[in-house]
Amino acid sequence: MTTYNGKSRRAFLSLCLKGGASVAALTSLQLQALSNTLNNESLTDYKALVCIFLHGGSDSLNMLVPTSGQHRTNYEQSRQNLVVNDVINLTTKTQFEGGVGLHPSMASLTPLFDNGQLAFVGGVGTLIAPTSLVDYQNKAVSLPGHLFSHNDQQATWMHGQEKISLNTGWGARMLERLNQHSAFTSNISLAGSNPWQSGVQTSPYALSRTGVMKINPLSGYQPQVDHVKSIIDRLLQTHTNSPIQDAYASRLGRSISNVQNMNNLLEQAPVLTTQFSDNDLSQQLAAVAKSLSISSQTTSQRQIFFVSLGGFDTHDEQLTKQPALLSTLATALSEFQSALNELALQNSVTTFTMSDFGRTLTSNGDGTDHGWAGNQLLMGGAVNGGDVHGAMLDQLVGGPLDVGGGRLIPQFSNEQYFAPIAKWFGLSEAEVHELFPNSMNFDAFTLPLFNS
Amino acid sequence: MKLLAILVVFTFALSACGGGTSDSNVTNDSNNTGSPSTPTGIDTDNQTGGDSQTPDTGNSEDENPDAGAQDGIGAAPIVDVRAPGNIVRKGTTIVIDSVVTGGNEQLTYLWEQISGPTAFILDSQSSSLNVTLPETNSPNRDDFVFALTVTNSEGLSTYTETTIESINAMTQKQAAALLHQSTLGPTHAEIKAATGKSEEEWINAQLESLTTYHMPLLANYPNKDQPSHINRIDAWWKASLSAPDQLRQRVAFALSEIFVVSDASSALRGEPEGMTNYYDMLLKNAFGNFRTLLESVTLSPVMGVYLSHLGNEKADLEKNIRPDENYAREVMQLFTIGLDELNLDGTVKLDKDGNTIPTYSQLEIGGFARVFTGWTFAYSARWNRPSKNYTLPMQPFEDYHSNLEKHLLNDDIIPADTGAEESMKLALDNLFMHPNVAPFISKQLIQRLVKSNPTPAYIERVATIFNDNGQGERGDLAAVVKAILLDDEARKYSVVLEHTGKIKEPILTKLHFWRTLNAASQVNRYYTWNLSTTYGQGPLLSPSVFNFFRPDHRPSELLDSNLVVPELQIATDSNMISTTNSHYSNLVWRMAERKSALNPNTIYMYGEAHITLLEETGLHALLDHYDVVYFAGSMSDETRSALIDLDSYFENRTSADRISQLLYMISLSPEFNYQN
Repeated sequence: MTTYNGKSRRAFLSLCLKGGASVAALTSLQLQALSNTLNNESLTDYKALVCIFLHGGSDSLNMLVPTSGQHRTNYEQSRQNLVVNDVINLTTKTQFEGGVGLHPSMASLTPLFDNGQLAFVGGVGTLIAPTSLVDYQNKAVSLPGHLFSHNDQQATWMHGQEKISLNTGWGARMLERLNQHSAFTSNISLAGSNPWQSGVQTSPYALSRTGVMKINPLSGYQPQVDHVKSIIDRLLQTHTNSPIQDAYASRLGRSISNVQNMNNLLEQAPVLTTQFSDNDLSQQLAAVAKSLSISSQTTSQRQIFFVSLGGFDTHDEQLTKQPALLSTLATALSEFQSALNELALQNSVTTFTMSDFGRTLTSNGDGTDHGWAGNQLLMGGAVNGGDVHGAMLDQLVGGPLDVGGGRLIPQFSNEQYFAPIAKWFGLSEAEVHELFPNSMNFDAFTLPLFNS
Repeated sequence: MKLLAILVVFTFALSACGGGTSDSNVTNDSNNTGSPSTPTGIDTDNQTGGDSQTPDTGNSEDENPDAGAQDGIGAAPIVDVRAPGNIVRKGTTIVIDSVVTGGNEQLTYLWEQISGPTAFILDSQSSSLNVTLPETNSPNRDDFVFALTVTNSEGLSTYTETTIESINAMTQKQAAALLHQSTLGPTHAEIKAATGKSEEEWINAQLESLTTYHMPLLANYPNKDQPSHINRIDAWWKASLSAPDQLRQRVAFALSEIFVVSDASSALRGEPEGMTNYYDMLLKNAFGNFRTLLESVTLSPVMGVYLSHLGNEKADLEKNIRPDENYAREVMQLFTIGLDELNLDGTVKLDKDGNTIPTYSQLEIGGFARVFTGWTFAYSARWNRPSKNYTLPMQPFEDYHSNLEKHLLNDDIIPADTGAEESMKLALDNLFMHPNVAPFISKQLIQRLVKSNPTPAYIERVATIFNDNGQGERGDLAAVVKAILLDDEARKYSVVLEHTGKIKEPILTKLHFWRTLNAASQVNRYYTWNLSTTYGQGPLLSPSVFNFFRPDHRPSELLDSNLVVPELQIATDSNMISTTNSHYSNLVWRMAERKSALNPNTIYMYGEAHITLLEETGLHALLDHYDVVYFAGSMSDETRSALIDLDSYFENRTSADRISQLLYMISLSPEFNYQN
């Protein structure tokens, strides 16, 4: 498979090289020729998925909290000094005991929630099979490997499956399944390489936030540029008996051609009236919006984007850190949705969050530790919004879901969260089951995340 | 001085031989011992350097009592063999002389090689042996035994064996290869100085050289009375560029990617002294003991802030507060043992069902979390009024330390009511003694210095030294570093392995050019902003405790192989382009000799030596020089011809232009970026 991959990449590279230094003249028709190497007959529409990864493990059980009754009492007793007050009462389609209160730092999201463009998924986490406390204690069911460990749990979320020797991300697998992987524009990251977008035949194109990147030696006096480029090509196309050295050569060659092609496209991008804030996440999403604005010229019918916001590992100073993080997230989400409305892509683009894990209900003084179940956000015109899908967990230390220290067992597996997203993206139910090996242990489509 | 050539002599008489007193004197010139053989034979002198020993005279009971000079029949020649003085090196031609006393007429000589790699003997029948020893083909010394048989006219013979040890004399390319693995990018002068020495001599000298600490180089920000974040980076550049203790600097850099702290986006950004002090702590312990290093890391207030065990309190059940688990988890997962049980060779252990075996569970995390309670800044007046001293090791407040029992690895339990200091020491001992530590740390150090995919056998050889340096010490990092660099798999003198080498870290390629081009600004400042966005990395600038790249990262290009290439994790499109752009602006736009006027704040490259070489000896000599300095001698014909063709376009430009373009093309060439 990788042989094919290597060949296709070389073919792609050599095609681009024919454009040489005058690649700026590469037309969208040529790009189409590059990207249409595989058929995509079944797809007639355009869709994009934007994953926002909240690095460090978001204390999302503190993002949606109970507002009244026994659940509130349990919550306050568990959380002690980290209790969130002055929450925003959400009116949800589904009724939950204790109500649903949104963290006050996320007030900018309430219009989106109320007009049905935003939903939450509650009580979700990594699971292999439905798991009770007794199952957990008796090791009666298989559990995800290395629970509570950052990079392992991040990988489990992004792979959509447990560790296997040749693992791939579920974002990349969807593209490959839909034959949408051959164009680099279908797989774009604003946050570097990551498991979600790494497949057998595709890996993410890392876009810089500013978009266009000049390549210093390849700009200026054309005859010199042509000469220098010809030498670069010679060096990068030489094959050696070191696969590691060749991987570097292929990577640099791909980077040069990708950047030149992307520059060419982005120069044609329209200027949006939506203003994005200066924060890191807003800036990443601004670059995604810019890329989406030229999506019609890429011929990619499916695109996946990856952005990330770090700092959620709130072992300390949670009372100051979490409000700032959630506020940044809410601001960036509402700006992004506004840009999508402006581009008339609101129904074609779905944005969703993932995070390492939820956090402990107990405090370590001024912060929380690595937990398990949490809540996620899902946004877009296609989303069945204005509701919490899944469960509002009873936040009770020592309760029936607590495996210790206030780490709650998820009531829905993350694959039950992913499956409807993959189905919306265009995969058949059979393909979804193939994509997520453990989803057969659950009812994969029990959560109505999208408008039917 | 260490003995470098040992002469072992024993003689015996083939026929009647005398037991007469020998009047020969032992010749002891310099390090070498020559000893006269006497016909009293069987007497083996195993002399060591500097010893002066007069051979026994022949009264031995072992001798044939019927034979002997006293019978006046005759005596075998008394042969004194003189091996060369000083150090004997591989690849050199040496002369072993013989001096025969008594009856010098009509002697015949026969030299033979008895053991060792085949050496070239010029003439085997003269009184002195002229022999050319084989070139370096292993990092170990070669041992040779040469025999001389001297026979006199009476047919009496004396047989003498001489042992010669030859140590390596690195060629320029061998030295370059070693220094690519063990410096922050070798200069030509450093390679030249190492050439002719053995690997071990160079490493030993490095191990013994004085440590260049970064703290004295930490300057205040201009017009401020304190340093800022950029001054920490400036100090790192200054030390890295010019420190003579390059091996220590390289190993400390490697350690900074295992024991990760970062001020990329944390409160530590405001603590340049603390951060610099942390780096100095790594330098200090780089050749010390791992256990000491682990304790220094653990008690560093910078680490305490970074992984939040500073100010971590014991449980308060009423408030539902329990100890912070952050450090407990990462000290195990990242700093000592990893997630899965390992064999000594670094492969994962499997249980009977073929599953990996986790090294710890929440039980141990809870135990270690209790251990790391009660610690805060040194000399704090009270727990709640911390001193904010970011340089001294943390100190404990017992009132805030958990007095419950603490469950460690291997079901070791620290009993209740054990104090903070003692608990910490017991817990770190517990980690240190875990069998995973040796392969876990050894493999990562190999990956940082030598190659991404060491064979299990290589890991096992190094891990064995980690567990016992030969003198019973566990965790001797100097011995570990030495074992890594001297291993056959690192030196590759004889074995050619399929998957050698690694991709160079991008920040180290920049540093290499800066070191070889004397990068400097007139104001003597190295303010490099945006290292992370340009190179995807920088000193103590990791985006998380998981470092810039993971040791098991497998790039998409190699998914069907079993190869990992950690450094390619940060080789994203934007990082690759910004790295090559940065090389271009350094090597082309900021080549001082291309400028008519210099901006005092700008860091320029000085290509003077390269220009002189080009002008005085021509392009081919310059490329030979680049082959050694930038490719460690592995520049292929393809790369060389590409560089020649590149230069053809610039032939009529200034020499500064020409070397700029050549250096830039080298900077992006796959061969340069691959450390073979």
